Amino acid sequence: MRSRTMAGSILLLTVLAAWEIWVRASGTPVYLVPAPSDVASVLGEDASGLLPAALVTLGEALGGLVLGGSVGLLMAVVVTFWGHLEQGVMSLALLIKSTPIIAVAPILTIWMGFGTGPKVIVTALLTFFPVLINSLEGFRSVDPAIADWFHSIDAPSRQYFTRARWPSARPFLFAALKVAAPLAMIGAVVAEWMGASSGLGRQMWLAYTNLDMPSLFAAVLVLTLLSAAVYRGVVVMERRTVHWA
Amino acid sequence: MRRTAELLAVLLVASCSAAPGATGDDLEPVTFMAGFVPQANLPFVGAYVAKDLGYFADEGLDVDIQHSAGGGEHLQLLAAGEVDVTTQDAAVLLERRVDPGLPLVSIGLIGQKGQQAFVALADSGIESPADWAGHTVGFKGTPPPDVFAILDAVGIDEADVELVNVGFDPRVLTEGRIDVYPVFKSNEPDTIRGWGFELNIWDAADFGVPTLGLAYVATEEAVSQRPEMLESFMAAAIRGIEYARDNPAEAIDIVMGYVGEDADADHQRFILDTELIDAQSTLTDEHGIGWQTEFQWNELQEFLIRYEAMAIGGEVERAFTTEFLTGELR
Repeated sequence: MRSRTMAGSILLLTVLAAWEIWVRASGTPVYLVPAPSDVASVLGEDASGLLPAALVTLGEALGGLVLGGSVGLLMAVVVTFWGHLEQGVMSLALLIKSTPIIAVAPILTIWMGFGTGPKVIVTALLTFFPVLINSLEGFRSVDPAIADWFHSIDAPSRQYFTRARWPSARPFLFAALKVAAPLAMIGAVVAEWMGASSGLGRQMWLAYTNLDMPSLFAAVLVLTLLSAAVYRGVVVMERRTVHWA
Repeated sequence: MRRTAELLAVLLVASCSAAPGATGDDLEPVTFMAGFVPQANLPFVGAYVAKDLGYFADEGLDVDIQHSAGGGEHLQLLAAGEVDVTTQDAAVLLERRVDPGLPLVSIGLIGQKGQQAFVALADSGIESPADWAGHTVGFKGTPPPDVFAILDAVGIDEADVELVNVGFDPRVLTEGRIDVYPVFKSNEPDTIRGWGFELNIWDAADFGVPTLGLAYVATEEAVSQRPEMLESFMAAAIRGIEYARDNPAEAIDIVMGYVGEDADADHQRFILDTELIDAQSTLTDEHGIGWQTEFQWNELQEFLIRYEAMAIGGEVERAFTTEFLTGELR
């Protein structure tokens, strides 16, 4: 484990060193590609600006993830109990999933104003689908032996759901969250990019329009670290709640 | 043998009788990237007309017209040498010269006034900037220095208005999400009026603010190493603008070939007409379209520094040149 970590660190340092040498040796201007040392400088000097922005984005992402995940899970439950609704629910879900967010975001702003509401909704729109699909699959993946046993005792559907379907769906749900959590961070940034007064997306937009590549890369790095942290949080939750994970 | 000689003679005569200058392989390839998506912004129109009516070819240029999505990539491509000429707002040109140090040079200042203004719905009760106090005032991305200059001009404290980043969708004004909305003068007012709303418009230039608009831009390297190309480009592009000024309907027909036939020709005409007005000044009356002076650029830089859009100033005299507007190199 320790040697694997060391190997990973060496690989990362090698890539960063090669990047630094290539930028310096080729004389590539900073407005095209910044050297890692330029990005590190921004991280050091602008930490007080990046940290609050990261917290804003994290809040919007988690809000959207909770909302999107809850809606996706609820839709899966509805389809599981009332199978005849499946075609309608899935058609609606696909319709929402296929709608370009870039077309929806301005309308959300018109409806809800310039606060965090539209950002949370955009994030929810991006994250509900994987939760819906995986949860539905999980609810339907009950071990046949367990299913037979519940049927043999003529268990009520509510009991079958809570004792058989729900435990069966939990690994699927966490698999969905592992996909949806980083997606939530991207969703929040995309929503902020369209117009926001704070957040990493706004920082990135400002850096991009000002051709300030070190700041752009620094914000991207912070976003990546946050996404990794959120992903790690989901993994930890999974280990605590799914005993075989 | 004789037939072959006749054929060669015919081909030679045909090639010599083509358009003045040269054709095909003889033309110097040039890449022009408009700084935004296709539309009737005047510098774009100059290039569209010059390309379609053969003005570039007359000057010995084979110009490939590209368009930027407007995120600044056209400046990166220009600095990287992938693009020869682009367009850029004058204030941004000065800012980018200082940070991150792009070697941009205005080779023709088409917009003698700034592109932006502020609007409120006519029935909002906001009759002048003096009425902005207590209202929300929008900005696109970052608050422009224009808004602070207007507030100063009418004696309103910045704290008396709420500045809000409203993005680029004017429906936030008509739906009441914002009281004062920032517009590109040649674009959104026509769109909003098309929805049935009347507007009150305030242009910073009317409050004594020294704004400037779009310029044709090249790099310092191109200015020093390819002066003949740049002069030829400017001669053809300004000829295209003059054609659009004298024949706006025909120019819009050409524009539609670039923006797509589904676009609204009347809206494109509004853009063109508005920018033709702003392309004229006492300077251009005397020297012709695109003329620029150090006084103009200095005033703009001082204004940007005063309202903190720039931390420090740059060498203004290197930010522009009239070298390619006089025709002396040809």
